Amino acid sequence: MEIPYEVTPRRDTGLYNAKLGVWLFLASEVMLFGGLFSAYVFLRLGVQEGVDNPWPWGVSVHKDFVWLGAINTIVLIASSVGVVFAWVALKERNWRRYQIYMYSVVACAVIFMCIKSVEYYSKLTQHHGIKLVDNSVMEGKILDKTDRIRFSGEKLTFSLQGAVPAAIRDFDGENFPKFKVTEGPEELVGAEISSMSQFKSWFSDGRRLVTNQLTEERRRFRGEMAAGTENPKPVSVVSSVTLTAAEPFGVTGNPRKIMAHSESAINYRDGVKVEGKLVSDEVQFEVHEVDLQLVLPTKQRESVVWSVINDEPAKKQFFDAQHKKYEELLEYYKDHGGVIPESQLRGRFLNVQYVHVAAEGHEGGHGKEDKHADVHTSETNPTAGGGEHEGAHGPSRILSVPRDQIKFMGNHGPRYGTYYAIYFTMTALHGLHVVGGALVLLFFVVFGKKLYLKNPEHLANRVEVGGLFWHFVDLIWIFLFPIMYLL
Amino acid sequence: MADASHDMTKTKKSYAAVGIALLVFTVVTVTIGLAPIFDFGPPGPDGMDFVLGLAVATVKASLVALIFMHLNHEKGLIYKILLFTVLFALGLMILTMFADIDPILEQFETLQTTRGWLTEKP
Repeated sequence: MEIPYEVTPRRDTGLYNAKLGVWLFLASEVMLFGGLFSAYVFLRLGVQEGVDNPWPWGVSVHKDFVWLGAINTIVLIASSVGVVFAWVALKERNWRRYQIYMYSVVACAVIFMCIKSVEYYSKLTQHHGIKLVDNSVMEGKILDKTDRIRFSGEKLTFSLQGAVPAAIRDFDGENFPKFKVTEGPEELVGAEISSMSQFKSWFSDGRRLVTNQLTEERRRFRGEMAAGTENPKPVSVVSSVTLTAAEPFGVTGNPRKIMAHSESAINYRDGVKVEGKLVSDEVQFEVHEVDLQLVLPTKQRESVVWSVINDEPAKKQFFDAQHKKYEELLEYYKDHGGVIPESQLRGRFLNVQYVHVAAEGHEGGHGKEDKHADVHTSETNPTAGGGEHEGAHGPSRILSVPRDQIKFMGNHGPRYGTYYAIYFTMTALHGLHVVGGALVLLFFVVFGKKLYLKNPEHLANRVEVGGLFWHFVDLIWIFLFPIMYLL
Repeated sequence: MADASHDMTKTKKSYAAVGIALLVFTVVTVTIGLAPIFDFGPPGPDGMDFVLGLAVATVKASLVALIFMHLNHEKGLIYKILLFTVLFALGLMILTMFADIDPILEQFETLQTTRGWLTEKP
């Protein structure tokens, strides 16, 4: 069946239908992204200075990846140009050229997504931050899995009414510890467990037992109520069990799954309790940057961060860099009223500085290297990250940060702050649009030949409409790039 | 047909020109973010950078919309749709301003000051 107005325009609208359709769709897309841009403005303007986490500067968040972002912008622009040229090629009835342009557009989309995933990977696994108890922040890298709580367990207590305890996945070593059931429902006490599969089948049996007992109890209770017994015994079933290990077993607990822990016990979020002895509770951290925006200027020298870093040259490096920038500000404001505004004094320009803690035997790594100052005072590569400094000034010393000094720590994922939340939301949604658009365009070139031979104008219209969406995706990125990476 | 192909040559030229302009503007955007020559405000990232960066982004966006998306010669119906889109998008931005007259937040701020929750004034 022929669908009307796919090639020729309708008289009343002056458009072929697909075009009207795609513009309506784009209007709804503007609403979708408009809401998110509005959220961005809201979050950014809503930051209360000195109270909330400060809004980070895009350049210092992305460091080396500012260039990747710029490359991504260029890639998307190139692909947009590619789409219009593909359309022109169709208009000129040149199938070969159309194919070349279209495939390069899809290639651009693939490159874009690859660069994006490199960036995401780095944020999620290579960059971390630790906020200490006095709100000073260290940016750097938590060494692999050192944020885990190391524990030597003896007893495991959990409920048989819930899911399989998450804790058993945190046990160290190949072998499942040998357990004996010491407390719990009478039927279960005394059982021995020595492997994961055994544990699982024992657990499901136990759960069935408890469920049956509970049904039984409820029936009894209802019966007594119906019989008019005064004060019937309330429903009560033992569902909690304690397993005691033959010998202590190692636990490496993921802090995200743990609600609280002490010298003698870990409480998991799913209600499981492991009793035993704490082995190690320190996080191994490589510091690249110290952020004192949330510490009052008068208290910065006594900040907790310096006792954690415990390195005089590093501290001096921070305050030297800060002083240099302070002079710079003073110079600027001499011509502009003479008073440095408080927001500047508390802002990131003065209070976030690169810090290198040299490993033993590598003194002399301190000095004037300070990437933030570089941005505005010299012509050197302003986005040089920690890695480059490491190469130039020897390895960093790994700090052991005691957990009781830590208020918050994490990778630069969405939960690290509102900036990261909106960054991941918007770029990921944009990424999905890139994937979707690329798939549609790929369809037009892979399966387009038949339609091209039948009615090339129809295919040209399809490409135009697909292109409109593609340009829209490009347009979103044109705004996303500066607001997320640069400003 | 000859006329049409002549038209296409012109179109192609304008597309190429816009493509190059977009690349140039991308470089400008990066420079605004990083280089000192575009630093009109105080040292460090500031509001001026933001205004400039967004201005350049708007120019880029309008180039894409006008030339690539053919909005420089489109039918009236599409402009009507877009008019409403723009109005609603502006509405979305303005909605956030209601936060400034949020009675709950006001209460909270009063409490902060009267009960001294904010002991360290920033």
